[in-house]
Amino acid sequence: MARYGMALDYKNCINCKACEVACKEENGVTLGADKHRIWVGVKEIEGEYPFLSISSSTFMPSQCQHCDDAPCQMVCPTNATYFDENRVVRVNTDQCILCSYCMVACPYDARFVDDRTMTVDKCNFCSDTRLAQGKTTTACQNTCPTKVRTFGDLDDPESEISELLRTRDHFSLKAHLGTNPKLFYLT
Amino acid sequence: MQVEISRRKFLQGTVAMSVVGGTAVSATNLFASDGHDSSDGGTNSAIPDSITTKTGEAKEVRNIPTLCEMCVNKCAAIARVEDGIVTKLDPNPMFPKSKNMLCPRGNAGIQALYDPDRLKYPLIRTGEKGEGKFKRVSWDEAFAYITEKTIKILDEEKDNRSSFLFCAGEGMAEHTFKTFYQGFGSGNWLNHASICLQTVASGYGVTIGAYPQSDLENAEYIIMAGANRAEAIVSPDTMDLFKRTKGRGAKLICVDPRFTNTAAKADKWLAINPGTDLAFVLALTYVVLTEELYNKEYVEAHFKGFDEYKNHVLTSGYSPSWAEPITNIKAKDIVKIAREFMAHAPKSIYYPGRRSTFAKNDFQLRRAMAIFQGLGGGIDCKGGLIFGSKVKIKGHSGLEPLYARAESRAIVKKKDAKKGEAGYDDCAVVSGGGSWLGWRNRFLENKMPYKVRGMFCYKHNPMMNMPNTAKTAEMLKRIELLVCIDTMPSDTVMYADVVLPECTYLERTDPVKTFGGVEPSIAQRNKVVDPLFETQPINTILRGLMGQLSKPLFEITKKYDEDVQEELAELEKAEVDENNETTGTGQTAEEKEVEVYAEFDLTKLFEHDQEHTNEHAVHDYPGAAEALKEHGVFYPKMSEYYKQISANVHQYYPEKLKSYSVFGGATKTASKKVECNLASMAKKGVDPMPTWRDDYNFSVPDGKFRLMTGRHAQFTQSGTANNSVLRDLMPENFIWINKRVAKEKGIAFGDTLEVTSSVGKVTIKAYPTEKIAPNQVFFIHGFGEESSALTWAYKNGGNDNAVIEDVLEPVYGAAAMHETNVEIRKV
Repeated sequence: MARYGMALDYKNCINCKACEVACKEENGVTLGADKHRIWVGVKEIEGEYPFLSISSSTFMPSQCQHCDDAPCQMVCPTNATYFDENRVVRVNTDQCILCSYCMVACPYDARFVDDRTMTVDKCNFCSDTRLAQGKTTTACQNTCPTKVRTFGDLDDPESEISELLRTRDHFSLKAHLGTNPKLFYLT
Repeated sequence: MQVEISRRKFLQGTVAMSVVGGTAVSATNLFASDGHDSSDGGTNSAIPDSITTKTGEAKEVRNIPTLCEMCVNKCAAIARVEDGIVTKLDPNPMFPKSKNMLCPRGNAGIQALYDPDRLKYPLIRTGEKGEGKFKRVSWDEAFAYITEKTIKILDEEKDNRSSFLFCAGEGMAEHTFKTFYQGFGSGNWLNHASICLQTVASGYGVTIGAYPQSDLENAEYIIMAGANRAEAIVSPDTMDLFKRTKGRGAKLICVDPRFTNTAAKADKWLAINPGTDLAFVLALTYVVLTEELYNKEYVEAHFKGFDEYKNHVLTSGYSPSWAEPITNIKAKDIVKIAREFMAHAPKSIYYPGRRSTFAKNDFQLRRAMAIFQGLGGGIDCKGGLIFGSKVKIKGHSGLEPLYARAESRAIVKKKDAKKGEAGYDDCAVVSGGGSWLGWRNRFLENKMPYKVRGMFCYKHNPMMNMPNTAKTAEMLKRIELLVCIDTMPSDTVMYADVVLPECTYLERTDPVKTFGGVEPSIAQRNKVVDPLFETQPINTILRGLMGQLSKPLFEITKKYDEDVQEELAELEKAEVDENNETTGTGQTAEEKEVEVYAEFDLTKLFEHDQEHTNEHAVHDYPGAAEALKEHGVFYPKMSEYYKQISANVHQYYPEKLKSYSVFGGATKTASKKVECNLASMAKKGVDPMPTWRDDYNFSVPDGKFRLMTGRHAQFTQSGTANNSVLRDLMPENFIWINKRVAKEKGIAFGDTLEVTSSVGKVTIKAYPTEKIAPNQVFFIHGFGEESSALTWAYKNGGNDNAVIEDVLEPVYGAAAMHETNVEIRKV
């Protein structure tokens, strides 16, 4: 029993996409540009050469926010989307009927269709792979060259992530929507 | 704080997402045994149906430490093997160099192992050279074929061993292949150096005695010019640097004609004109000298030729206002950066970089950079450039027979060279790795001092890796016997007469290697799974080949080599004892031949298994061999020092034991000083001190564009071009063209452009962007393969080397890659 979350030192990100490959390899995600459980957001740079805005050129690593109040879970008509014992938002593929309500409801665009099972797939913090093997962290956290991520139990005051969130300024994406994401961006 | 983020609003990466929609290819089903026939008629039964760690049904799970070979960095990985299938590659946290990380390529190593297009069996050419038609043969048949052709050539060339060229790409087993070259006795060795980092390595080598490492974990101020660590990943530099940029301890000045990912992480980006970095460094130096900002104590103790250099820079007038029109960098920025650099020195770094030669002045640029670094005193110290220390391992003896008939390296001395001019046709200094372009061009121009007819090529891809592909193709066609040892059917392999399939890095144990630095260690690539198909590691391949080739080679030597003939004739006489009586029978001719052959017996080079050789190499350290097998890494007291500090931080050495300073600030040159003025270079026609020449100025004729090339994080040159998972990240390469110029020319994103230079043309899709200057274009190297045996890479994107002109850098004959202007046309 835990309440898993992730803190992202997003300024470390160099958009190398190691996390995307590690995720695909670990979790057997299919190929295809729209088949990402995890991605790095890049905006087109502002300005004209050579007067370009460095500050407009940020890399935003992202994935499922594992919202504590998850719109995807609320709209799922078959309860295929559920919170597991560690408050990770999961999909039970046996129950998914591919109505795609969750894909519409997710404000973070974190869900996609797995063409093999014809169900909706998403990040599950490596719950059925690494965590099931007894590892303590996700594939993306582990492989990251610049160590963007810290993964851990938000309910444990002794955890590294709890300490980070107590001591470092941070923000959440689309916080005004009230989804209570469990991904935290450190500034 | 609230930030609005919607993934679909972003471009994925540079251009990837907008190009190809969701292709319905499955990463896991890609390897299905679908009877996929390759040119050799093989099937893929050895390739697993699916790969994921998800099933949880594995009966046996093993975790084996190895070293990555997806690029040259050699980061440490742990392979998860489930019932004999490699299902995941994870970073190995115990290796100080790679510090618990694997980049996208490292993660995609599984697809290199299970690539259905891999070379699987020995092949002999049946079609025309370059056509890619082969027949499958046994190893013995391949060896017999090579032996017959090699002996025929050597017989006709009267045992001139240099009638064979040997070339190899970078890698841990390059040394193994090189022992074959040395034993064979050729003088012609070409490696990647002259198309890679020859000028930077040598520039630093002659100035401060070694190509140094950078302590980016502690530097406070970094000028990164012509290096792109956010995309061209180097461990540990990339990991150390970007945790501290953006106002978190390290100020980063990025100097690059393009706005790279490194620029995006910088405090300041300076859009310099291509090839003018030398003027920028000279102007920085000028400021530091005129304002007397340099570290006088350091200069006094550790500089040689300082006064001459100072005088040279000042009297030449290399001021910021002089540099501004040359470099396109404002004089006030140059002044500011020079002052800031010296204010932070010695914890400031002018980053050496490690890339190909871009401009003809690259050697002088590196010299100027090294000297500038020295002016701040940031050499052999924490936060500066460091030499570090090394954990010594034992070498093993090779075999270098002397062949009287072997000519030396095929170089052409200038007949009419005057005093103070370069003595050779295509360079001033002949380096160990040679000048690939110079060598190739001399060969094509029939200027060789003797005939070179055969070529052994180990994991090297000249068709893709050097400028002017058309010339390389012509050269390979003219080579009578081309033997390629490789893992993939590359463009070069298509020209081979015999193809010997090597296994991938996950299927072999390589020579143990020691990694020097601030935190030195030894690491070993352990075999993860047995070689698939009929592939073998290089050591085994050469053992097999020598089994057939060694004796016939000696027979040829016997036939032509007078020295050997004389030696064979000198039979040891029977001994005579004190009573003047003869004892024994004396040496027979057969016995003598056995004795002489021992010096020429190439089978000895490869008789030991790699595991055995590795154990010997670390024999001096109790427990090292076992640790290298179990952890992949070893250094003295590792079990005491190594610990995990937090999720993302590991300790390898206590801070006070790190090798920041090992020479007290001295350099590794013979004089132990920073060498400002190299008189020895002047004798060879090379400027003894970094000097700006007018022909270094950047200019592009109207209507043309300067072509630039480069690397990025998702592919390693052409070596990973067929990797399905990496291709998923970046389906093809695009040509960057300034957005306003594109608009003027009616070029939209994704339009196909024809790019033409004096040596060739390619077609490639357009990526209009403001990240590049109006008179420049750029595309990534490594795409546009012509080998139809590469399912994913074949004709995918454009090959830069098909249009880059073969311009030689004058000191080492390195390929200068950014000296080509191109025309562009929408097709």
